[in-house]
Amino acid sequence: MTPRPARRGAGPWWSSWLLGAASLVAFAGFAWPLLAAAAPADAQASVPFVAIALVPALVIAVALTLDREMYTAQTVALLGVLTAVGAAVRIVSTGVAGVEAVFILLILAGRAYGPRFGLLLGISTIALSSLFWGGIGPWTPFQAFACGWVAAGAGLLPRIRLASPRASSRLELAMLVAYGIVASYAFGLIMNLWFWPFAVGSGTGISYLPGAPLGQNLASFGLYSFVTSTATWDTVRAVTSAVGILLIGPAALAALRRAKVGSAGFTPTAGPTVRPRSTELPGGGRRRRPSTAPDAAAAPRTTRRPSARA
Amino acid sequence: MGRARRARLAHLRTAVIVAVGFVVLRVVYRLIFGGSSGGGILLVDLPRIQLPGPFAGVSLLGPITTGGLIATTLGALPFAAGILAVGLLGVVVDLQSLVARATRRGPLRAISRALMIAWSTFPALRISVLRVLVARELRGERSVASLLVPVLEQTVERAIALGASLEVRGFAASRLLVPDSSDPVTMTDAALGFERRWVLEGLDLRLAPASLTLVTGRTGSGKSTLLQAISGLFQHQSGGEQAGVIAVGGIDRIAEPPRETASFVSVVPQSIRLSFVAATVADEVGFALAVRGDAPKSARPAVAEAARTLGIEQLLDREIVALSAGEACLVAIAGAIVSRPLVLLVDEPLADLDTDARSRVVSALDRLAHQSGVCVVVAEHAIHDWDDVVDRRLEIVDGGVREWTKAEGGARFDTPPARPQSATRVGEPVARVSNLVVTYPDRLAVDGASLSLFPGEITAIRGANGAGKSSLLYGIAMPKRRGTVTVRGVDVHTLRRRARRQSVALVPEAFDDLLFTTSVAEECRRADRRARQRNRSSSGAVPGTAATFLRLLGVDGESGTAEARELLDRHPRDLSAGERLCLVMAIQLSARPSVLLVDEPTRGLDDRARLLVGDALMSAAADGAAVLLATHDAAFAARIADRALTMSAGRLDRLVGVAR
Repeated sequence: MTPRPARRGAGPWWSSWLLGAASLVAFAGFAWPLLAAAAPADAQASVPFVAIALVPALVIAVALTLDREMYTAQTVALLGVLTAVGAAVRIVSTGVAGVEAVFILLILAGRAYGPRFGLLLGISTIALSSLFWGGIGPWTPFQAFACGWVAAGAGLLPRIRLASPRASSRLELAMLVAYGIVASYAFGLIMNLWFWPFAVGSGTGISYLPGAPLGQNLASFGLYSFVTSTATWDTVRAVTSAVGILLIGPAALAALRRAKVGSAGFTPTAGPTVRPRSTELPGGGRRRRPSTAPDAAAAPRTTRRPSARA
Repeated sequence: MGRARRARLAHLRTAVIVAVGFVVLRVVYRLIFGGSSGGGILLVDLPRIQLPGPFAGVSLLGPITTGGLIATTLGALPFAAGILAVGLLGVVVDLQSLVARATRRGPLRAISRALMIAWSTFPALRISVLRVLVARELRGERSVASLLVPVLEQTVERAIALGASLEVRGFAASRLLVPDSSDPVTMTDAALGFERRWVLEGLDLRLAPASLTLVTGRTGSGKSTLLQAISGLFQHQSGGEQAGVIAVGGIDRIAEPPRETASFVSVVPQSIRLSFVAATVADEVGFALAVRGDAPKSARPAVAEAARTLGIEQLLDREIVALSAGEACLVAIAGAIVSRPLVLLVDEPLADLDTDARSRVVSALDRLAHQSGVCVVVAEHAIHDWDDVVDRRLEIVDGGVREWTKAEGGARFDTPPARPQSATRVGEPVARVSNLVVTYPDRLAVDGASLSLFPGEITAIRGANGAGKSSLLYGIAMPKRRGTVTVRGVDVHTLRRRARRQSVALVPEAFDDLLFTTSVAEECRRADRRARQRNRSSSGAVPGTAATFLRLLGVDGESGTAEARELLDRHPRDLSAGERLCLVMAIQLSARPSVLLVDEPTRGLDDRARLLVGDALMSAAADGAAVLLATHDAAFAARIADRALTMSAGRLDRLVGVAR
């Protein structure tokens, strides 16, 4: 095996492939009602069970892969406290129709710390809030993946580098707001997709019909999804996410970016994992010296910081 | 354990509710989409409605029969049973202790440790949210950002402190290094800095075992840098650079990250509360052992031993959040010595403590150095507490370390009072507090306080931690029903939150909670906007918050100057602590309050910052505000206050100083 150039936040070369493949297979698990037709006729009946068993296994596979990379003090600390915030937000907003404010945190953290951290944050947030509140069920692994994807997606969006830092940060904010809206609807759709046959049962006009043409099942699903969530919960969620990101995005990203995520085996001499900050009481002090973080050039001390001015 | 069992049974109840909900949902879908026709008795005969277009195959409603309902319910049962089964699994398997066990070994150590940290972060998070809610009421803000941004800032700050705390306690260490115990710390021509700009240079230093060394110097002079260079956090986490040689226990510091030397180099950080990893004192003290994979049972004797050394055995069962500042400091030291270190680094342990707690901490560190043989290094800018116990005193001046000699005291703070004599009491009091009572569920915090405040006068309230000073200030700023606070003849209790700010404004001890935007200029603009909303009638005369801020700092008010522009463009959190306090004061003064309350303005500030804040308070008083500050900083109170009151056990006592 030839050594690869070390990239920040990246694990061994195979882990990206593994994470991508696991996500792809997991997506197939979500989409089983539409894909079942491709399975052999005598295996059709077992497809839902395979999907429900497969997704938790994949969550564990992803967690095992990422655990090795995240095994550093700073990353674990960040993951821990952000998971606490995420779970708290999720538990508090339970019962408030569709106001899944946790998306705001997932998207901003995924953006600040990258797709791997985001994926893990989504999973751990669901794990902790389920442990705490007890809402564990067959849906938990599906939620974990879906939330992980929402956060990871924000990290995968292109990096924006315009001439002026302020323009860059505005464009980034606009991109994240748009992503928040898309992600809110997409989350609703895929969570409906795997659960739809169970939720509705058979014999209604919007039921999943094993073996029926794809078009018919899609139409039934579309109507089911539209009536039960797209027009209601998902829209509220999209509005919440967009408004939330717009309001707290710039300040929150600036706060999050003060801490940096490094990966295991990342040697300290190669660069810092934390930007120096609080040396003064109370609550942080002046950054007296320029950071040596690799991307520090984007926001050196003398430059205007991203501003919320609109 | 009983509580854990009950919690798990609650999970089962949740599962039952969800399962029943699932069955009901399915029946409802069936009723709406295509009805529940089937055998049995016809219950309701609803018309069937066909949908048009692409949904031609779908029909709504239709007749409902008992047979149809039963068939639907039965069809839903298998999945509902699955929900119940997962719920039952949660009762049988104790997931929490599974996670706890997974932190010690196995392939999910990082995630399970993160979950444990998250778990123990909940109480702190709750406290943080409650505090920010109060802060935002004090600022008269209602926006989402004013709540979420400070909470997130605190979260990230906690993550950074926790990361350092995990690192220095050996999290993710790969091997066990054996130190040379005769040579705790040696520096040979070492320099420390960032990007080739040295903060400290020419360090030649040898620290002996069984000694207590005090490092003094101004805030920002490099005390923490020196300590962190010994712990390795400076080179390995903060991205600092080192030249020359630094060795701890004979091991090259630059070659080994903090986690690898955790067994013999321990750290008590400055932000103690943020660095607590566990939820209970026993877990916190034993954390360094747990991180190495020791089972809780085998760590117990060492934990008990460490607790005994510091005299905190009675605290072991307590929750971390229930500790006082002094107790928290002792717990942090116990957690640092549990691994029997060779070197103990303590960064400003006394900043938060009152006299009593100070002496406990000092004598504990004295015992550790001179009885247990630890090489203790303490960074501190308050030096007189240490006079009797230190073996060696180092002072950091102009980027270098030198042995401290008594001859050169430097600029001392207790210079003659700077208060201008012109500030005299004029006429009627602007505010009257009468018989104010503040109670908490467990105690009486303020017991019938009465006082009058005069415009342009600075009044200081002194007293130990827990005497009720802060409670009194909050009681005046946000009066509840017991006792009355009148400002310019109006009962403050009857005012709404924004109008209240024109009467009374409070700068809380955790003043950072009031800041939530990305630049100083933006903070000032927001404050101006709020002030204009209130003062629409009397517009024009209100000076901008930015101008006030610059004046408090003593920067040339013409905001065209480069220095002013540079300050206003900064991120608020990149200001120094003293500058941030002035910013918050300017924001609170934007409503032109008759009374300005300031809680512990000098906490953690060095002499220079205290001078700055003192001048700012005098400038606010000179503008006509009645200033009331709570402080345990006697020198500061003596310097700027016109009169001082003392407070103990909730009672406002006698007058200490009289108006000059």
